[in-house]
Amino acid sequence: MVSRERPSSGELTYDRGTLVVHAPQTCCPSPHFIWDARTDSWRAPAWRYPTVTRVLSEAHGDRFNDRVLEVVDLQLVTKELHTLREDQREALTRWRGADDRGLIVMPTGTGKTEIAMTAMTDCGTATLIVSPIRDLMYQWHRRIQRAFGNDAGILGDGRHEIRPITVTTYDSAFIYMDQIGNRFGLIVFDEVHHLAGRNLRQAAELCAAPRRLGLTATLERTDGLHMALMDLVGPVVYRQEVSEARGRTLAEYETIRIPVHLTPREQRHYNAAAATVRYFVMERRKTNPSYTWQDVCSEAARDPAARRALRAFRFKATIEDRAEEKLRVLEDLFRLHAQEPVLVFAGSNSMAVDISRRFLLPVLLHHSRKEERYWALDGFTNGRFRALVANQVLDEGIDVPAVKVAVVVGGLASTRQAKQRLGRILRKTGSARAVLYEIVCDETHEKERSRQRRQSDAYSGTRTMREHTLQYRVGR
Amino acid sequence: MLTKEHALFTFDRFEVRADCLTRVQHARYREMASKLLYIYHHGRGLTRRDLHRRSETVFTDEADCPPQRVRAFVKLLDDVSEFETDREGRAAELRRRVFELAALRHPLVRRPDRLFESAEGKVKADIANQLAQPWRVIESSMHRDFPEFHRLQVFHGYRDADALLNRYNVAQAQVLLFWAEEMTITARSDLKMLFRYAKLAGLLHEVTAVAPSVYRIRLTGPVFVLKQTRRYGVNFAQFLPALLACRDWQMQAKLHFGKFRSFLRISSESGLRSFYKPEKEFDSALEEKFARKFGTERDGWKLERETEALVKGQKVFLPDFVFRHQDGAVVYFEIVGYWTPEYLAAKWKTLAMFADRLILVSVSKPLALSQENFMPPGTLTHGRTLQLAQVLERLKQVRERKGRNFGGGDSLIPSAPV
Repeated sequence: MVSRERPSSGELTYDRGTLVVHAPQTCCPSPHFIWDARTDSWRAPAWRYPTVTRVLSEAHGDRFNDRVLEVVDLQLVTKELHTLREDQREALTRWRGADDRGLIVMPTGTGKTEIAMTAMTDCGTATLIVSPIRDLMYQWHRRIQRAFGNDAGILGDGRHEIRPITVTTYDSAFIYMDQIGNRFGLIVFDEVHHLAGRNLRQAAELCAAPRRLGLTATLERTDGLHMALMDLVGPVVYRQEVSEARGRTLAEYETIRIPVHLTPREQRHYNAAAATVRYFVMERRKTNPSYTWQDVCSEAARDPAARRALRAFRFKATIEDRAEEKLRVLEDLFRLHAQEPVLVFAGSNSMAVDISRRFLLPVLLHHSRKEERYWALDGFTNGRFRALVANQVLDEGIDVPAVKVAVVVGGLASTRQAKQRLGRILRKTGSARAVLYEIVCDETHEKERSRQRRQSDAYSGTRTMREHTLQYRVGR
Repeated sequence: MLTKEHALFTFDRFEVRADCLTRVQHARYREMASKLLYIYHHGRGLTRRDLHRRSETVFTDEADCPPQRVRAFVKLLDDVSEFETDREGRAAELRRRVFELAALRHPLVRRPDRLFESAEGKVKADIANQLAQPWRVIESSMHRDFPEFHRLQVFHGYRDADALLNRYNVAQAQVLLFWAEEMTITARSDLKMLFRYAKLAGLLHEVTAVAPSVYRIRLTGPVFVLKQTRRYGVNFAQFLPALLACRDWQMQAKLHFGKFRSFLRISSESGLRSFYKPEKEFDSALEEKFARKFGTERDGWKLERETEALVKGQKVFLPDFVFRHQDGAVVYFEIVGYWTPEYLAAKWKTLAMFADRLILVSVSKPLALSQENFMPPGTLTHGRTLQLAQVLERLKQVRERKGRNFGGGDSLIPSAPV
């Protein structure tokens, strides 16, 4: 609990995401402090804790009383922790050399989690692990259980258990950090690129943990916000490119695009919806030549015709997303890889459920309960299920080493999502070669989305496989 | 409460206005709100998806109807509904059995051959046999726990269409506050409620007296001095219903939208009604009786109920009554009822913080007897009623002292036993 007792003058305390010193207004304790007339005290951002303590110690020596951190020391007994490879060891050494602060950028599947676990044992302090989604939070929870036999606390998904090792999500960290920001000595940001968002970064700003580790495969953001991470978490201490790791620490892989066509019935509906949209926009452009799609969206608020055009547009997208032919191609891919685990990424919940219903496969969606997630992932890992369907919940960080085949049946135009999805199958196991299929509705807008998301080095060399080639390969 | 995706607002220069449905301009919405209530009142057993689809049809021909408005109404109706969510996990258990049975025959194909014999239809029929249920029933039950397939059990609803429309208007103002960085309120009454709910919402205040019994209260979050942030937006939104339950106030919130800032202004005259119950005028019958007995004016003293706030940092003390004499003398009156010794100790501590003010205290007799040692001299005591004569006598003493030397430090409260 954060102490509500009013601290005496000369003490540095933590108050709801800030550092507080009760000193006269004329006496600024150190840089970063600002006078707060509301409480007659000096305040500084919690993330400045290391700098502030250094300045105050130099200035006041023993008279300075630091009451910020309420952290327990941990002696972690390792039960199942892999020995680090040379590159992982190098990354950890550089992080430790940078005062236990910094970012490690390595491709998915190169064992960033293992680096973080070793960092936890080396630091021996209360640790908070922040991950983007609940599935990853639970995956960390289980990994910690296996590695240290430690039942970590969970903050998020309706649970509020704070323990010396606690796992949480970025959303929960943003909400609760002002209450728990002084309870940890080390904070690990998994998929740290999420932290750079203007709101979510407060999860780091309100936290006083002096040791900070950020892990990601895709640091750079197109909006440039990732630069803020250099201050909040630390500089990039280690970077490894996919090309460096391909074939060495990552599996060799290929990406294959399979174009499909709409059925005549779907095409009829698609054409009708497209005509509705086209006709509406054309009519508007007669009076306003610069009329754009943005105008349709804003006009939908007051014009039923614009609303109909918008509905038609969404209907078109649904047809692309849930095209019947995709299910047929998926059947062929299941035949082709009948003996291997296959991960299927859908573009929407509806499509994920369609696939699950058609092939009777477990499906993971954002609202799936923890027990069902564990059951499905365990079944998939141990081979009881040879395929697993998900919408976006498995995009990042989920660790199923044996999977070497993934099928994308729909998704965003984002290259980040595409790289993350590809990353799910790149963990090296022996000499197995990974393959990612992308089923795309040809002659629709989906083709453009697919082209955009493949604008990444990781997708260079994508080849196109025609349906008849696939049918030939499965012997039909 | 709504979320940002439901927010609907317009800008007018530097001011932002939350969507507000009015009786004159949006008369049709009353009928539509009635239809929505009808759908939910008679929708028991329907899935969430069906309810939403039916609700959307109500707005089909309405020209002035942004999609956010439709979604907001649906959310507000869902918020006061109880859905069957399959807590026992029957659907998940059924899925588990079906998927495990099917896993043995993966992949299910449309055209079986020698290599892949598991025809989809055949496998599903076999599973239906094993589970002794028609496949149609299995398929419809398998996803009952998905939010869109939750079935409506109870609809608590709103009193009538007007109540729903008012709730919508308040919710739109609330959601706009998600973008708020700070809020300034000019208040004239119900100060106790204002400060209590501001504290409950985790907000810090700065209070300035702008006129007798008129205060400007600036509410911000702890981090505000370091960084203007919207992280307290939810706190402001939670505070709004309490503010709406108060009387005689104006509020201005500073909102931050990406690259520019704007203001939201609301007042007690804006027509938004709170769904919180307003505070009772008096805390107890004792106080009410005393106020009645005193009347509006006696011996040149006027009696006001909780109109003055005494503020020191984040500590706010609102004495129960204020006696204001026509010559400018002000005496505060605090009544302590039947409370614990700890409460009384805290009360003395608070009063000690405002020792420079003239505060008259009356403590209930049983408490006064049991806590006699800690009772500062000069403290009045009362039984079931407050002795008006006793109070007037003390006020007279104050007047006499005022004649000699009336000023700061002439406190009626001696050093408190802390």
